[in-house]
Amino acid sequence: MIAFVLNGKAVEVNVPAAKKVVDLLRLDLGLTGTKEGCGMGECGACTILVDGEPRLSCLLLAGQLEGRTVTTVEGLSPGEDLHPVQRAFVEEGAVQCGFCTPGMVLSAVSLLRENPNPNRREIREGMSGHLCRCTGYVKIVDAVEAAARKKGEGDPS
Amino acid sequence: MKNLYLPRSLEELWRVLEREPKAALYAGGTDLLVRMRAGMCSPPALVCLERIGELKGLREEGDGLRIGAAETHANLLRSPLVRERLPILASALGTLGSPLIRNMGTLGGNVCTASPAGDTLPPLIAAGAVLELGTPGGRRNVPLRDFITGPGETDLRPREVLLSVRVPGTGAFNVQHFEKVGLRNALACCVVSMAALLAVAGEGVVEKAVLAWGSVGPTVVTCPEAEAVLVGERLSGERLRRAAALVRERVSPIDDLRASAAYRREVAGNLLFRLLDVPPRQPGFPAVSR
Amino acid sequence: MGMLEVGLPVPRFDARDKVTGRERYAADHCPEGLLWAGAKRAGIPHGRVLGIDTAAAAALPGVRAVLTARDVPGTNRQGIVHKDQPVLAEDRVRHCGDPVALVLAETPEILREALDRIRVDLLPLPGVFSPREAMAPGAPLLHEKGNVLLEAVIEQGRALEALAGCEVVVEGSFAVPFQDHAFLETQNGTAVREADGRIVLVVSTQAPFRDRFEIAHALGLQVPDIRVQSPYLGGAFGGKDGATVQCLLALAALHSGGRPVKMQWDRQECFAAGYKRHAVEMHYRLGAGKDGVLRALHARLLYDTGAYAHLGGEVMELGMEHAAGPYRVPDALVEGRCVYTNNPVAGAMRGFGVCQVSFAFESMMDLLAETLGMDPLELRLKNALRRGDRNAAGVTLVHSTGIVPCLETLRRQELWTGREAWKRRAGPFKRRGVGVAAVFNAMGYGRGLPDSAIAKVELTGEGKIRIYSGVSDMGQGNASAFVQMAGEILCQDETGMELLQPDTDRSLPSGSSSAGRTTYTYGNALIRACRSLKEKLIHRAALLLMAETTEGMALLPGRVRHLPSGREVPLAAIARILPEGDRTCTDQFIMDVSRDATGTGQAFPIGFPHVFFSYGAHAACVEVDELTGKAEVLDYLAVTDGGRVINPRNFEQQVQGAVAQGLGYALTEEVLLREGRIANPDFADYVLPTFLDIPDIASRTVETVEETGPFGMKGIGEVGVNAPLPAVANAVRDALGIRFRRSPLTPERILEALRAEGRRGGEGNP
Repeated sequence: MIAFVLNGKAVEVNVPAAKKVVDLLRLDLGLTGTKEGCGMGECGACTILVDGEPRLSCLLLAGQLEGRTVTTVEGLSPGEDLHPVQRAFVEEGAVQCGFCTPGMVLSAVSLLRENPNPNRREIREGMSGHLCRCTGYVKIVDAVEAAARKKGEGDPS
Repeated sequence: MKNLYLPRSLEELWRVLEREPKAALYAGGTDLLVRMRAGMCSPPALVCLERIGELKGLREEGDGLRIGAAETHANLLRSPLVRERLPILASALGTLGSPLIRNMGTLGGNVCTASPAGDTLPPLIAAGAVLELGTPGGRRNVPLRDFITGPGETDLRPREVLLSVRVPGTGAFNVQHFEKVGLRNALACCVVSMAALLAVAGEGVVEKAVLAWGSVGPTVVTCPEAEAVLVGERLSGERLRRAAALVRERVSPIDDLRASAAYRREVAGNLLFRLLDVPPRQPGFPAVSR
Repeated sequence: MGMLEVGLPVPRFDARDKVTGRERYAADHCPEGLLWAGAKRAGIPHGRVLGIDTAAAAALPGVRAVLTARDVPGTNRQGIVHKDQPVLAEDRVRHCGDPVALVLAETPEILREALDRIRVDLLPLPGVFSPREAMAPGAPLLHEKGNVLLEAVIEQGRALEALAGCEVVVEGSFAVPFQDHAFLETQNGTAVREADGRIVLVVSTQAPFRDRFEIAHALGLQVPDIRVQSPYLGGAFGGKDGATVQCLLALAALHSGGRPVKMQWDRQECFAAGYKRHAVEMHYRLGAGKDGVLRALHARLLYDTGAYAHLGGEVMELGMEHAAGPYRVPDALVEGRCVYTNNPVAGAMRGFGVCQVSFAFESMMDLLAETLGMDPLELRLKNALRRGDRNAAGVTLVHSTGIVPCLETLRRQELWTGREAWKRRAGPFKRRGVGVAAVFNAMGYGRGLPDSAIAKVELTGEGKIRIYSGVSDMGQGNASAFVQMAGEILCQDETGMELLQPDTDRSLPSGSSSAGRTTYTYGNALIRACRSLKEKLIHRAALLLMAETTEGMALLPGRVRHLPSGREVPLAAIARILPEGDRTCTDQFIMDVSRDATGTGQAFPIGFPHVFFSYGAHAACVEVDELTGKAEVLDYLAVTDGGRVINPRNFEQQVQGAVAQGLGYALTEEVLLREGRIANPDFADYVLPTFLDIPDIASRTVETVEETGPFGMKGIGEVGVNAPLPAVANAVRDALGIRFRRSPLTPERILEALRAEGRRGGEGNP
């Protein structure tokens, strides 16, 4: 049994410890918001937060979650209200096919936690583990910038 | 499915290794799990080192640092100590993989993987890093440059584990330059890299030079002849041309998907010219260039 | 919640479910009790199948079935135009990704092991790995009819004679490699055979309606017995137009004992078995007067279509039709050959054949400008097509033609006017250049088949408006555009709208999501359907309100109001009184075609010519490092004529995304082939641009009105991908004085060229 906190709830899962976390989430737990794009850490689509830090769930084994706190995109805004980063992605047009989006959103949340006021260069650096084939990245940078700005303006969430 | 062990101390680790002598060790998984997925290796069991306290931590040691083998690249990059004492390592870490990879990958992993393209290896070797290796029976110290014996090959003995990397401070060098040439600006595998540590006197004369290149040989390439050409003189196009010619003779690169041997050889020399563009600095954080 | 008005940057309708992870792509479908299906691939580029030993795999516990070509009940052939591609290889494999066996297993792990246990006895045959090898006398034949899939000519006037009389003739050869679509969601789907015998598939596909015919033909089934659902795709760009997993999945469903089957290619399989952008060799001769007026063009194009036809002939057709660029060239001869090789299968990809020739014709325009000592932008303006001109394929441009204003807009931008100062600011060991490219891209299927859509809208029982989309949304945002158009006509906000992704049982046949046609064709049908629905709602509201006539009735968000009296009836109330059969409206549309008797292009069974075009003029600001040969794009501008803009933000998304793909094509992306094997079949070695490789791409629009288009729009998904390569190559020429004729412009190629010019890095510097 592997015990950890998943999206705010304590869970115990009975899976082989060497199972990839992306498979655990998608296949065993039905949390399909986490995507798999390459299986080798090159695209970032499978990003989740472990103890608040972005991790590639394709290069993480289930046993490593023991005692940790995991946030997937589903846990970011459990109610109807979007997280400010999610809202910024919607409003700034950062979403096209959307397959990279959950991972991008989680990385952006973590990036803004570490650096609440990043410039565009810092945003690009901070997000550079994620590939997007649709947007050319520009509007994703816009969205992270907008989320930071709104936070600075005292957005309560 | 394979067994996965998550020992919380060296004590526990030694016990696991007794039971599973052929287990593969990993900390970040950014190399091992990729190779396993590709079917390049299939160890009978896995041991994850991320929870072993003795392998963590960063502390001052003389003018240098002792870095726990399982410290992540991201932690090191964030550390003011690393930026102050080993700015050249910080520069290299900033080019490694991506922030996601750096959150997972560790310095010890980069060392033990012993890839010719390992981004931290040229600066660590230039700085004279020494590895602290341990077994249940004892510990030994080995200079990094002796430890890596070939592509993916090290002097790591059975049931031996890399405990820490001890790096002397590079404060004596007021030019610290690292450049990595890759095919893109993030998520790039190194095609050629160069770490250069220079002590430049007030009037511009180079008093000391240490140079190391990555991805141009089976292991990190150094070139004392090129260093000697630079020492005792001001940096000039003429001096650098001579040094570059020596380096190009010294390297033994290969052709691969990313570049030809000829390109690597050429660029290994060319990168020296960038030193004309890096002004000597007082302690601080030199520009990262790639 | 904002109102849905055409022309406003309203947020995408699909964005909310995508940022929360709620959207369920095909990859996210995991029905209870599923079996995993996977294909054993040939692994060699050409060979005779002597035998397939499946016993060890079949004996593995947890393996449900191991199938080979013998188990395929129908023709075992798939292909959009030419049916030459087996579902499972019979006696021959023609490329490394050819599937030879299909396994159904309880878990992905068992599936992997079973695939490993299959022994395919293959006799390697000599292969052909370039069109030239394939056309050489005595070359091994891939298909019975020979290695040339299609040979064609497009000719206007007498190009060779005209060239001989030109004051200036420039000549050049160009080559571009295979490019991978690299969508993030790999090819996948699920299939289940229901109790009544019907097969239901959920597939990441661009053409759900056509898929039914493919499956039926290949497996000997009846079209009505197949249902395909196409959820939002995680990218496609042409790579999911045509058979990927569909036939394999349906075949698996025939052998799963009623259990659902799932197939998901991993990234390596996606590279090996997925379609590619064609590699092309191009030879150009372009003639002009001393005044810079273009007189004649002779272009020869050689397309490598890989092992199977897919849309190779059609891709080449589009390349040939665009070979002269968006210019007036009175005498033009374009010769094309599309040739089978033992390389991966090439097929549709955004820019569909045009991307390749854009490199050639826009390089030639710069070469001509250099030769004549003219400004490259002025040369383009002088020759740019205007409405009423005939283009080089003989088509009279009777529709919106905005290339001149695109170029004029570009000329006014600071990036262009200030370029000399910008170039002078280059640092040590850096050289800067600015390049332009003018491009165009046809919209629609072209002549020979109807480019048709059938739209369906419904007033739901809850009083909402539901659109039954008939064309997939692979990320380009057509679904959102449909909602915005319907909202505009029906005066609804986002909360009043629903949209269903294509489902062959519920929506109506509307063709593929491709060819820049998706929003145009379905949109036109939708507008008509929405107008009918509006009339219906107003009429029924009038009945409910006991109004004398429908005069003075206005459709408002969620309700209809009788303006004179202020009385209102909610849409939900109307829905309650309408019998279900009376709540929907459908209507259809077929795109117009060129009426010119061009008298050429006879070899093309379908597709030639086109009559609607979008245009673009781009500028790239590039800095080259002399020490490493690395070129970086520091600034980029795209000016686009796509008719009227339905949603400015989503328009920009398409432009920026296309430019980024084009920049990858220009600088780093290349499927590296070693005798038909892909040497870089993953995201580590197939070098896609990252956040740090793409600049802040600026987008400007030139809004012509395409009067036949929904609200005046034209499709712009493709045009933007055509310009980056030539713009970058022209910029590098500007920076270094060296013209690159082979892409991508890698550091190695650039450094090598610098050395060949005797300019070794660091030489001549301080």
